[in-house]
Amino acid sequence: MGELLEVLPAIGFADVERRERFDAFRGTSKERLARKYDVMGVNVFARKP
Amino acid sequence: MAITCPVDLDTRRLRDEIQSIYARVAGDPAGDFHFHRGPDYAAELLGYDRAALAGLPADSAGSFAGVANPHRMGPIGEGAVVVDVGCGAGMDLLLAARSVGPHGRAIGVDMTEAMASRARAGARSAGLDNVEVRIGDAMSLPLGDASVDVVISNGVLNLTPDKSVAYREVYRVLRPGGRFLYADIVLGAELSEATRRDIDLWTG
Repeated sequence: MGELLEVLPAIGFADVERRERFDAFRGTSKERLARKYDVMGVNVFARKP
Repeated sequence: MAITCPVDLDTRRLRDEIQSIYARVAGDPAGDFHFHRGPDYAAELLGYDRAALAGLPADSAGSFAGVANPHRMGPIGEGAVVVDVGCGAGMDLLLAARSVGPHGRAIGVDMTEAMASRARAGARSAGLDNVEVRIGDAMSLPLGDASVDVVISNGVLNLTPDKSVAYREVYRVLRPGGRFLYADIVLGAELSEATRRDIDLWTG
């Protein structure tokens, strides 16, 4: 996540902000792997200045 | 999520696998996949508005395989030009088309013809004539510079072999002041090298 929040401003985006997180893999066959690596769905906002 | 693939990952095979799995999702959304699909998942785990989803064609919502919810980051805005990168069968695209109204435009981009066909059919079925779907790749969007107001994408750019190229494409097509409402998966922990080379996980 931190990498993403660094890459977007480096490209030129402003106001980059992580908003909500979502447990998108809950109940799937990959839930255990998702938990192991803390895989989550996220909303990220960014604006082109 | 790593920004680039391991250097020796076969990116052509990755692209082929992605096209194959999402063509399968388009043809058999109720099939056996390791990720959720459909409107119940969207409402229960991602906070989509059930009433809005109920107003969409079942085929468009049934193949939905997003991982977050770009519509929760504020209204897209009436009259806007919005692009959905990796629109799939069109659930987010059709919701966006409703948001921008008859004076706006909603353009879907997808590299899978099966999904693009479904999105076009969904727009026709929903009576939305402000929708256009183009075949294209997130790494080279079929759109002009500074031509759109809002870019949305849901669970797609993590599939690209070099995400920074895809992000630069989003930046290129946005007008100054334009918004990127980005929904995707992220990792809180570093992947092992073996896991990063597992194409099945890249395509999920």
